[in-house]
Amino acid sequence: MPFPTPRQADPAPFSRGREADTDKPAILKIVIAGGFGVGKTTLVRAVSEIEPLTTEEYLTQASAPTDKLHGVEAKDTTTVAFDFGRFSLDMPLPLELFLFGTPGQDRFVDLWYDLSHGAIGAVVLADTRRLEASFTAVSFFERIGLPFIVAVNQFDGAHRYPEADIRDALDLPAVIPVLFCDARVTTSVAGVLLTLIDQALSQASTRPAHTTLQDA
Amino acid sequence: MNSRHPQAFLAADAAGDESSVVRNYTLTAGRTRPRYTLSLDSVLETGPGRPGPALPEECVRIVSLCQQRRRSVTELAGTLGRPVSVVRILISDLLDAHALRVPATTTAPSADPTRQLLEALSAGLKARWPDAVSYAQAG
Repeated sequence: MPFPTPRQADPAPFSRGREADTDKPAILKIVIAGGFGVGKTTLVRAVSEIEPLTTEEYLTQASAPTDKLHGVEAKDTTTVAFDFGRFSLDMPLPLELFLFGTPGQDRFVDLWYDLSHGAIGAVVLADTRRLEASFTAVSFFERIGLPFIVAVNQFDGAHRYPEADIRDALDLPAVIPVLFCDARVTTSVAGVLLTLIDQALSQASTRPAHTTLQDA
Repeated sequence: MNSRHPQAFLAADAAGDESSVVRNYTLTAGRTRPRYTLSLDSVLETGPGRPGPALPEECVRIVSLCQQRRRSVTELAGTLGRPVSVVRILISDLLDAHALRVPATTTAPSADPTRQLLEALSAGLKARWPDAVSYAQAG
């Protein structure tokens, strides 16, 4: 899987000569990855303090092999839309959590890489009607060593597969939690986030201290 | 390499509104690369400077949004309805004008979150939504 090269630009100037902003909340982030229509925006909306924003970014990437067959040499630029939501907590520490909902196709892997850097982990939101759409996200997060869980959004009328079947279909190791959720329901989504945090905590105690994404 | 990008901007918006293509190009004065590295989750707050008169109205809006609270690059782009690549360039101009700055210590998450922060987030979530349960044990 190709990894993007870092952008060549100056680091943003930090404020200097001021006392530390210890009163400002620390920022944490979680990535929500899933296929089109699986309920990412709904999930973000369930806990966000703002109406989820759809933000566009250009991605430049090498042309797909099919383009090369037609002699197209230029790189493709595609537009990817992703969701953003956030909420703040005061207790026990002032914290702000950013939620990024990102499409599940492997051509957006650059975006996943960007969003995964420094993230708590990822929720792979899955739809049992199209489980295969989650496969790329699962293997990506596995590869970079980012803690992740699989949350199956229970659509009305969708066939309810046993957890073991989902695990099998996604080739998930036993340590990765699989749970069912309703992306419309705030407490259900909060439960998903809690599960991911637990997963990150248990993985943090077992993984080496200085794992970086580049090592993956 | 740079010569490719004006076309790239156009290509990316080919399916979109033509005026937004032109606007994005005008906003950045044809530039395609931001001066500063800004992550999608970098947050900005206002600084002592003001956006220069030559800067577009979108810059005034960015400063005004950051006056209310610090905001991430993604939130600013989403609120303005402009692509992140364009907004990064505008933010770079505002950083140069000292109208914006990156908060001294509370930068975007750049390292893996500490155990202490994870535990605090978990406790905070449980306090906010007491009915929410982690499924980790159930699996």
